[in-house]
Amino acid sequence: MAYQLYRNTTLGNSLQESLDELIQTQQITPQLALQVLLQFDKAINTALANRVRNRVNFRGSLNTYRFCDNVWTFVLNDVEFREVTDLVKVDKVKIVACDGKSESTQNKVDK
Amino acid sequence: MDQNNSIPAFQGLASPQGAMTPGMPIFSPMMPYGSGLTPQPVQNTNSLSILEEHQRQQQQQQQQAQQANTGLPGTSGQTPQLYHSQTVAGSTTTALPGNTPLYNTPLTPMTPITPATPASESSGIVPQLQNIVSTVNLGCKLDLKTIALRARNAEYNPKRFAAVIMRIREPRTTALIFSSGKMVCTGAKSEEQSRLAARKYARVVQKLGFPAKFLDFKIQNMVGSCDVKFPIRLEGLVLTHQQFSSYEPELFPGLIYRMIKPRIVLLIFVSGKVVLTGAKVRAEIYEAFENIYPILKGFRKTT
Repeated sequence: MAYQLYRNTTLGNSLQESLDELIQTQQITPQLALQVLLQFDKAINTALANRVRNRVNFRGSLNTYRFCDNVWTFVLNDVEFREVTDLVKVDKVKIVACDGKSESTQNKVDK
Repeated sequence: MDQNNSIPAFQGLASPQGAMTPGMPIFSPMMPYGSGLTPQPVQNTNSLSILEEHQRQQQQQQQQAQQANTGLPGTSGQTPQLYHSQTVAGSTTTALPGNTPLYNTPLTPMTPITPATPASESSGIVPQLQNIVSTVNLGCKLDLKTIALRARNAEYNPKRFAAVIMRIREPRTTALIFSSGKMVCTGAKSEEQSRLAARKYARVVQKLGFPAKFLDFKIQNMVGSCDVKFPIRLEGLVLTHQQFSSYEPELFPGLIYRMIKPRIVLLIFVSGKVVLTGAKVRAEIYEAFENIYPILKGFRKTT
C-alpha cells in the first residue's frame, strides 16, 4: 500500500477539494472518491520514484526533530533551498519524511 | 630558612603560604627540649592558622613591649630572622598573658612541614570532566509512543531499541527513557549539570501527563581527560606494569591501564594524553591521575 503522504500537498489538496465538490453535487459517490485518492497515492509515488530526476539542496538550522513509526519530522529555521538555477529562502520549514522502499526517498515539504 | 640550630632535623621546609597541596599531610611539629613552646592545642594544623596565632602573639608582644619594631612581619611572616630578633627582644619584657610562650622559636610554627620528597609534589594538572552518565527512576510506567509523538527532539524505533532517545540543548545531554520509567542521562560535563538535565527530562515527561517523580538519582560513571604535555614510552610502561596494563598497538593505539586503587581505567597515549574513566566520584579521577603522573614521568620519551 502506497504512502498517503502526498494527499496534503498542493496537488493532493486540489484533488481532494474537487472530489468534495463532486460529492456535494451528487455526481460521484464518496466510495468512488476514496478509490480516486488511493489511485492518486499509487500514481504520485511511482511518478516521484521514476520520473523525477532533478536535485535540490537545502541548508538551515534544526529546530526540532522527531522519529516515530518510521516517520521523520523536522522543523528547520532560516532555510535556503538551492537548485542549479535558483535560490529560495524561507524562515520555517516542516519536513515529513517516510522511509523510501527503493533508493528514492519520498519527501514532503510544507512551508 | 633560618639557621636556628637549636631545632634539629628540619628538612625541606616549604614556603609558609600556599603549602596546602591536595593530599599533602601537614602536621604540627613537636618541639624537643621544651624550648618554651607549650604544646598548644592546635585543632587545625593548617599552616595559615598557625601563622595567624603567631601574628596574634606577635601583636600582643608588641603592645606589651612597646619597643621599636623593625616592621612587624606579622603579615608577611616569611622573614624568620626578623621574627627571631623580635622575639629575643620580646623575651626580656614582662610576662605575657595567656599561653604565649616565653621564648618563641620562629622556625617551627611559622613554617609548616610537608613531606618533602620531590616525587610527591602535585602534578599541577587537573583532569577535566568530559562525560557523566547517570540514572534516575521516574517511578511510573510510561507510554513511549505518546512521549515520542508529543515531545520535541525525540526518537523512538522499537524495532531497533526499546527506549525513547531524547535530547536537550542546555545542558547538552541525551536521555534514554524506558517504558519502566527508568531513565539514563548522558553527556553532561559535571555532576550538577547531569542532575539538572535529568530533572529537565523528568519535567518534560511530567508535562506530557505522566506522574513522574525523581527517585534514586545516581551517577554511574564519570570520564575525565588531561594532557601530561610530554610523550610517553608505552612499551616501557607495559613491561614494568604488566599486571595492570594491556597494550596492543595493532588493536588500539592506547595503553589500557587498570588501576586497582582507585578502581579506574586509564587510556594512556603516546602523545601524553590520558583518558580516565570508571569513576563514581570526581575525587577518584583526581586521585587516579595523581597516582599515575609520577609513573608516567618515569617513562617520558627523551628523543
